[in-house]
Formats: sequence, structure tokens, C-alpha cells
Amino acid sequence: MARIGVFICHCGTNIGGVVDVDDLVKFSSELDDVVYAADYKYMCSDPGGKVIKDAIEEHDLNRIVVTSCSPRMHEPTFQSVIEDAGLNRFCLEMANIREHCSWVHKDEKEEATKKAKDLVAMAVRKANTLEALTSFQKDVVHDALVIGAGIAGIQASLDLANTGKKVYLVEREPSIGGRMAQLDKTFPTLDCSSCILTPKMMDVARHPNIELLTYSEVTEVDGSVGDFKVKVKRKPTYVDWEKCNGCGECGQVCRMKDKVLDKFNEGLGKRSAIYVPFQQAVPLKYTIDPSKCLMLLSGKCGDSPPCQDVCELGAIDYQQEEKMIELNVGSIVVATGYDMLEASDMYEYGYSQSPDIITNLEFERLISSSGPTSGHVHRLSDGEEIKSVSFVLCAGSRDMDHKEYCCRIGCMSALKQAYLLRDHMGEDLEINICYTDIRSFGKGYEEFYRRIRDGKSNFIRGRPSEINVKEDGKLIYNIFDTSTQKLLEINSDIIVLVPPLIPRNDSSELSRILRITEGADGFFLESHPKLKPSDTTTDGVFIAGCCQGPKDIPDVVAQASGAAAKAMGIISREELESDPMIAWVDPDMCVGCGVCVEVCPYSARELNEVTGIAEVDEILCTGCGGCIAACPSNACIHKNMTKQQILRMIDEVI
Amino acid sequence: MSIIDLTSMAEPEGEAQKKINDIIKGLQEDIPHDCYQCGKCTSGCEAFILTELEPHKVMALSKSGFIDELLNSGEIWTCVTCLKCKERCPQDLAPVDVIFAVKNIAVSSGKQIDSGYSNMLQAVLGTGFIQSPKEVVDRENNAVTRDDMGLPKIKGPEEMPKLQQVLMKAATETLR
Repeated sequence: MARIGVFICHCGTNIGGVVDVDDLVKFSSELDDVVYAADYKYMCSDPGGKVIKDAIEEHDLNRIVVTSCSPRMHEPTFQSVIEDAGLNRFCLEMANIREHCSWVHKDEKEEATKKAKDLVAMAVRKANTLEALTSFQKDVVHDALVIGAGIAGIQASLDLANTGKKVYLVEREPSIGGRMAQLDKTFPTLDCSSCILTPKMMDVARHPNIELLTYSEVTEVDGSVGDFKVKVKRKPTYVDWEKCNGCGECGQVCRMKDKVLDKFNEGLGKRSAIYVPFQQAVPLKYTIDPSKCLMLLSGKCGDSPPCQDVCELGAIDYQQEEKMIELNVGSIVVATGYDMLEASDMYEYGYSQSPDIITNLEFERLISSSGPTSGHVHRLSDGEEIKSVSFVLCAGSRDMDHKEYCCRIGCMSALKQAYLLRDHMGEDLEINICYTDIRSFGKGYEEFYRRIRDGKSNFIRGRPSEINVKEDGKLIYNIFDTSTQKLLEINSDIIVLVPPLIPRNDSSELSRILRITEGADGFFLESHPKLKPSDTTTDGVFIAGCCQGPKDIPDVVAQASGAAAKAMGIISREELESDPMIAWVDPDMCVGCGVCVEVCPYSARELNEVTGIAEVDEILCTGCGGCIAACPSNACIHKNMTKQQILRMIDEVI
Repeated sequence: MSIIDLTSMAEPEGEAQKKINDIIKGLQEDIPHDCYQCGKCTSGCEAFILTELEPHKVMALSKSGFIDELLNSGEIWTCVTCLKCKERCPQDLAPVDVIFAVKNIAVSSGKQIDSGYSNMLQAVLGTGFIQSPKEVVDRENNAVTRDDMGLPKIKGPEEMPKLQQVLMKAATETLR
């Protein structure tokens, strides 16, 4: 016989200011099986917990309904409270009258109270059939997986590996390093990007606890927190990396030398079909690009392939095949980085009309001493020296037609690039910075902005409507400067557009594999925008860096260390308590059709060979509910969320 | 209102501002409030070069309620309706729509209409053209007409009264 207590929280004025709590208490106390109902200003506080505990003892309650905020907020709090009072933690039901009621109906107080009554009544109807469940312990795998080896993935891997845990670091490019390896200098300190990155890359390569899987991609993830089974595809490099010593002679003799667009240089330089992305690559091993290698495309490369001829170590292997590797890890850190918005999407800025209109990332490659022009910025159309350059900020960010958000790095990257240009080319160079608002919010950023505001560069407070290419190929645009109220005509040798960072073009695919969520902007969604910035909706999977949203390097590194600590919190444990709210198969109803085995995304279902009926693997089952929807014989049951319970709740309100 | 423009002693006009918003709401969802004054509209404004129409300023004035200044300005009548500001606004706003709303309020409240603009309206109502075909100067510096260049005569509307009816109907329906 259920003896139910209903506890109604005011949440200050969040609920109390809208819902008539006194009325709700009175209504609740009159419901079937309810022996006690009470309210309190903050039920989640210590005194609030005491109200519940005392009532359980005094009135011999055995099922508890807490009527407050979302269970995502305080379900664990109240579970602990009733456990302290000697009840099973699963004998709790919550009715959400804040997010689902008072917040969304704050101007309709009477209606809100009515809805709150319905929600309480439904919760009570369910509560009197709640079963006591027991959690069980499951073993934890102590290794971790990090996906993406830019600065975020590198930092997370090093932090994890330094605690003594084994880390698998998967990177889809032939080298680790990511976007940061493409940058010349970093703002605001003007540290050389490679100089601070490459030592970390070497640390990764040397670390005994890190197993580096480059030129590889995660294709499948099974299992759940503490015990993920991961499939990784190692793409063939067509070079035996055991043998290759990175001498580079193959690249020199390749028949496709200087014919293949160089992705690392943002397409501004050319490379061979056999290549390392950049000279400080880790690992420094050559890879054959199968889409460009004549041998791989047509089976023929002159009389004999020169790379094979020149390689004394015999490392070239055209027969190499893709390999699947299976990993078993306890937690996963996702750090897959970002892409840039295609600058040609802003048609009015003419990116595809002239090679002299470039993006800020292309500019990084041009001004980098390791770049295609050895750090000398000149016009790409005719190779002429530049006398004037313009930066157009917010090109596609803060823009409802492209990306609504602020890209967070555009202003600072343009200021840094202006500084570097001035440094390289002297006082005579004309620099125009077309800005809407300079957002220099980070530590030392405003100070850096002040250094650039030295009177030598022109800050134009406005935005060009269009950029035109004149008949002689020179660039011209009009811009209204809102600070001087003048329309200016500006001729510029090159124009640098600053487009926003966007999610990786295939990030949806990865979010599907990992069962994590994407936000409206397409970036991976954190569990809570402030308090859980590295958590995802899937336990045991954490996010770091620009895959979660645009960020500068300090923020990326901080979040990566945070994600590593979070991952550590799981893999450092011996056992995890598993959630007992999972599926169960009624053996009397199951006909052994096997539909549930097919639909289960966690491989948590098997047909028993002897009895022929389905059985649940309680460790693997996450309670997703897929089998319950699929089972044609109503044999699959979700514990404490049964069809009968749901129907009772529906009955209550209709 | 506790705000005063010390250069003209004008105060924001809440009523007129609301009226503009209502008119624009009929045309599109967004009203000038989202404008963050990047100035992209004015950078590309075809009318600014000749007449100093500043669409971003129209947005700011209507946003802050200094409507009288707008109604009395000659510039609002010089918009050539090229729609560039609407097409390129990063906040999906349409200064051109705000300008039209202001023009409508000016007419309905009996403000002086710029003579160039009323001449143009008269021309359209009378002939169907913004202006009548004129002579142009060719590469040899001779003044030539369409006839001289062998171009066909431009046909006007076939039924002028019908066109006038349609135009008047449109005008009275737009003026609210």
C-alpha cells in the first residue's frame, strides 16, 4: 500500500510568484494515496531536505513526489534525501512545475496553477506504482580516447597521460597539430605559434602512455560510460611508417611535384602527391594522397614510380590496405576543431572574383615564414608588392544571412595581422581596419588593441557594402565611416576578409556516432552553458575546443584540461554505479522474434540459445527505450517507466 | 521621456515610433531595433553619393524616436529603392522599408513633400514614366535622340486611366 508524500517547492518566487502554492498543497493532500503534503521556500536546501526526512519518519511515507524544477536539476539531490531517510532512491517521482509551468506561463497565473495541479496529480498516479530498484556496480575501463589532435586534443591527451592513464589519440590528418600549426603568431603575446605548439607535439609523440593513431577516423562507438567499444579506421598511407624515416626524397622526385593544391597552406601552395603536411609534422612520416598519385589512380607512373625507386628503405607500399582497429575505453574527449565559412558565400565581397581578396587564415599562411611565400606578403594576382591592405571584420559573422554569432577571434586576429604586417613592411604600408565593434575581451587583449591604435593604421568604423575588382584587377570599395560621417573610397592592393569559424562540415556524422547533440549553430552542445561546459548529453563523452563553439587558444586549452579532468573522474574509478532504470524483458510475453536485438544500438540484447527468448545485458543497456517501441509483443518493459504507468498518467489528465 | 536632444531640443516621439513599427510590421517581421549601426547600408547607398541619404541614421533616429527630424529631412525622398540595403543588411533589416514608412507618415501628417519627388509622382501619374525620354550625348559629343539612333518609340501604358486607377488605389491603401 503506497503512502505518498507530496513536497511542493516555491523556488523563491520562481514558482511561488506564479503558482498558487497553498491551493496546490490543499489539492495534493486530497489525492488518492497521499497521506501528507507540504510546501517549502527552497525544497533543495538543507532545511528543505529536513522537511522531507521528518515527514517520511512521522507519517511512515514510502513513495515521495517532489514538485519543483526539472529532474535534470535536482533529482539526485532528492534521491539522496529520501535515501538518507531509509527509502529506496527510485521511490521518488518529480513533477516539473518550474520549467514546464511557472516559467512558461508567468502571465497566466490561474491557468498555471491548474496545470501544476495536473502535473502533481500525474506524478502521484505514477508514484503509487513505483518499484524499488537496486543499482549494481560495473567495472570501468581505465583507458581514454581523444578524438582530434589539434591543440585541444593534444592538451587533453597530455593531461590524461600524465596521470598515468593510457590514451588513444586519433587524428584524421597525417600529422597532429591542427589549426594552431597553421598560424604564424598568436595574440596578444605574439608567441610564435609553432614554437609553443611543436614541443607539445613532441611530448605527445614521446609519451609512453599515448598511442597516436594519425590518418585515422572513428567510425563506430558502442557501449556506454566506463566501457566504450570504439572502431577506428586507419586509412592506408601507402608508405610503411615502420620503415619511413621522413627523409623527403620521395617528395622531391614525385611526378606530381608542385602540382597538388596544398591543404595545409589553404590551397595557396603546391605539393607532391607523396607528402608531409608541414616540416615539423608529428609523426614525420610520408603519406601518399590517393586522389593524386598516378600509380594509385592508374596503376602506372612513367616507366617506374620514382618515389619507389628513390626510397632506399623500401617503404613505399601501393598494396597497403585500410585497417580497422578496435579500442576499449572508459571515456572519450572530442576535440575535432572547426572549419571556416566559405568566403565566397558573401558574394558581395568578391572573394571568388580576385585572388587578392583572401581570408585571414590564408593570410596566416602568407605571413608565416614556413608558408608558400616564405612570409613575404604580396599580391597573389601579379606578384606585386603591396602598398595598402584592408581588413574587413565580421565578414559573415553577426550576420543573419550567414552566422548569427560573434566569431570571438576575428577582431584580435586582424589586429595581430595588422601588427605583423607593420612589423614586416614598415611605416609606409597603409593599413585599413574596417570594424563594427572591436571585441578585445581576453586577458591582455585590450592592451594589445591599444598598441595597434598607434595612429599609423586607419580604423574605419563601418562595413563595406561591396568590394569591386577594377578592370586592371585592382580592388576598390566604398565605406561609410560612422565616426566621421564620411563616405570613403578606398583602393586596396589586397583585402583580408575575416569570416567566422563554423562547425566541421562532417560534425553531424560524428555527433551521430557518439550520440551527442548539436546546438542550433551546429557546434556540439554542452550539458549546461555555464556549469557543464565540457559535458555532453552522453555520459562519459566530453567536448573541448572549437568543436563546442568558437574560441581563442587560451580558452581552448583551459577547456581541454577541464575535459581531461572530467574524463579522469570516470576512468580513475574502479567501478561505476549503473542506472537500474533500464529495459527488462517479460519472459512470459517474449516470443523470441529478435526485433529488439536488431534495434538495440548498444548491443545490449541477445536471444538466449536455450530458451529462445530475449535477454537484457544490464551493463550495456542504457535505457534508451528503442526496444520498447520496437517490441511487437509488448514484452519489453522500461523499469519505472512502464506503459501502464504512462497510461495511468495520461488517464489522470484526460 | 527623460531624453532630450540638446542640439534641437527635440524629444523622442513614442507614438510616431510605434506607428512606424506598425507599418513596418506589415511589411516584415523585424523592426529597426535589431540594427547595430554597422553602416553597411550607407556604404552601399546609391542615394548617399548624391544626396547624403544615410539609411543607418534613418534606422537610428526611428529606433530612438526622433521622428520629426526624419519627417522634415529632404533626404528621405531621395531613396532610389535599389533595395541594396535590404539585400545586404547583416541583421535582415530593411532601411528602405523604414524610409517608406516615414514617407507615408510625412504624407499623412501633411508634411511638405520634396518637389523633385512630387514631380516624379506627377510624371508617373500623367504619363506612366518617371521622366520623359531625353536627348543624350554620344561618343562624338553630339546630342542625339532615340529617333536619331534608330531606336523604337517607347510605348506608354495603353490605358492610362486604368493605370491611374490602380496607382491611386495602391496609394490610398498604403497611406495609413
